[in-house]
Amino acid sequence: MNGANFVVHALKEQNVTQVFGYPGGAIMPLYDALFDGGVDHLLCRHEQGAAMAAIGYARSTGKVGVCIATSGPGATNLITGLADALLDSIPIVAITGQVPTHLIGTDAFQEVDVLGLSLACTKHSFMVETAEQLGPIIEQAFEIATSGRPGPVLIDIPKDIQVGPSVAYALAQLADTQKPLDQNLISHSKLLISEAKKPLLYVGGGVGMAKAVSELRTFIEQTQIPSVCTLKAIGCIQHDSTYFMGMVGMHGSKASNLAIQECDLLIAVGARFDDRVTGKLDEFAQHAKVIHLDVDAAEIDKLRQVTISMTDDLKQVLPAITVQPSIEQWQQHISEMKVTHANRYDHPGEPIFAPALLRQLAETMPADTVICSDVGQHQMWVAQHMFVDRPENHISSSGLGTMGFGVPAAVGAQVARPNDTVIAVSGDGSFMMNIQELGTIKRKQLPVKILLIDNQRLGMVRQWQELFFNGRFSETILTDNPDFVTLASAFDIPGETIVVKSQIEQALQRLLNSDGPYLLHVSISEEENVWPLVPPGAANDQMMESVG
Amino acid sequence: MNNTLTIEAKHSPEFLERLLRVCRHRGFSIVSINATIEQQLTHIELTVSSDREITLLTKQLDKVIGILTVTLLASSGNIKASA
Ligand SMILES: Cc1ncc(C[n+]2csc(CCOP(=O)(O)OP(=O)(O)O)c2C)c(N)n1
Ligand SMILES: [Mg+2]
Repeated sequence: MNGANFVVHALKEQNVTQVFGYPGGAIMPLYDALFDGGVDHLLCRHEQGAAMAAIGYARSTGKVGVCIATSGPGATNLITGLADALLDSIPIVAITGQVPTHLIGTDAFQEVDVLGLSLACTKHSFMVETAEQLGPIIEQAFEIATSGRPGPVLIDIPKDIQVGPSVAYALAQLADTQKPLDQNLISHSKLLISEAKKPLLYVGGGVGMAKAVSELRTFIEQTQIPSVCTLKAIGCIQHDSTYFMGMVGMHGSKASNLAIQECDLLIAVGARFDDRVTGKLDEFAQHAKVIHLDVDAAEIDKLRQVTISMTDDLKQVLPAITVQPSIEQWQQHISEMKVTHANRYDHPGEPIFAPALLRQLAETMPADTVICSDVGQHQMWVAQHMFVDRPENHISSSGLGTMGFGVPAAVGAQVARPNDTVIAVSGDGSFMMNIQELGTIKRKQLPVKILLIDNQRLGMVRQWQELFFNGRFSETILTDNPDFVTLASAFDIPGETIVVKSQIEQALQRLLNSDGPYLLHVSISEEENVWPLVPPGAANDQMMESVG
Repeated sequence: MNNTLTIEAKHSPEFLERLLRVCRHRGFSIVSINATIEQQLTHIELTVSSDREITLLTKQLDKVIGILTVTLLASSGNIKASA
């Protein structure tokens, strides 16, 4: 068995059945081993697509996503995907080929210092120096990717190690030690909760990563404490939970943002006080004591000084701090705010109103549909107006905000969950950033549904130019977009364009009922903005809203 | 504000790069550094300067894979350490 065969064998030992990648010189031995090695490989059409497909695979299943690339340009093309996984704490193992050991440092063909490049965009990275290291490094890579706060790990493997003899390795089965909860902190937390008049749960992506969704829901059921969530936590709380107000922050719901400002106890669960959530930090939940529960100790007191913090497993902590406060007035107030500030879908005229269309899609799509969003206004409309009831079903590039994420993430999710409907919601700008992945959809005949919301603009940037840059629309006008339906048809993907409201219902049916992939191209006005908006530098209760 | 830390880490070829990157990125400039490698262990004595709380750095360093211990030795508001 050579090193490359050993890598495939080690992947299988980690229960990997599917990888995403793109071949090239320095990784050819591994591709040779993959040829009949018993692990499925999906050829994406750009290494960034492979990294994002691995992310979609990981996020839709909770498993580790694996991507593979060659040295030099292959590895540099992975970088954006690794950064995306780092900011969203997604378990990814990336394997790159490297030039042979004796050529490292000679500026050899397709040589880049990939280990050096990886330092700022991975949780950890390895360069394999000897055949003996291969086994332990692969095992550690999977352990690091999944443990604590998950993240991407890169393994750079020189070609000579891939072709040379391998060294047998027995998995060390790294033991997991869980320390007991600190009972003082638990009782102090319970005291704060039971004394609070206006407690609020601020739920982040860490809940899904810790697989603590059911513990969170039980906590909410038993305490009836009102809640808000971050972009990455959408799906953790059932959308129709009585006192749940939806997303908080820059484009959060008005009720959420007002509740944050009014609460007297903020319970942050797997959340990290990101600037898109807090707005002006000094004024965020100004009157609240804070209980911060997060597995990453470096998040504690990073941006907000807290009253109590615990870094234990959320599955353990949440049941332990469950206590029911008496907060009828606050609950009443939350219910009223939910009604007063409910989303509105009345919209004059024939042109399509994207929020209403997305709402209608959410109401008609099959249960357990996975939504993969791209980045921009359409992404915020998805977050505000669609609803999903599992975090695995809402996949959005949250921390990095990476345009081009939607389609490759949907590829990965569809491969992972072949029997579920997967919908990529994209924008005309984002769609073009990884358009080559239509080739991947064609290759596997993946039944990915694409909903393309076309405002002929880089809409989110246009919105800021309108509001904060005196309407100077610098380089955001895309009236020269290609004909998207024709473009899709070149990849054997059928599709249609709709422009008026009366076309929506039937078109959504055709999208959802198509056996294979489908493109629904929706033309909307460039003037629609995302509301409400907490302007940069403002506190969360100073939201701008739609006029008229 | 200057702070002096000692750090023990498993030796790896890129370890110093990792350490220096985290310091710079988190807003701490290096005033002095001394590193020795013995029996697969890297021992570092490091003085950094920043307006930020030193715990913002030590918590990030605790997370670096390979770092075994981070100990805060001394802090001084105005004494300028020599490099
Ligand atoms: C890779 C990348 N480049 C630039 C940006 C900045 N950016 C954020 S949203 C946006 C516009 C997105 O346009 P589109 O996909 O059409 O979505 P819309 O806002 O129009 O719905 C841009 C350029 C980004 N987030 N990612
Ligand atoms: Mg657009």
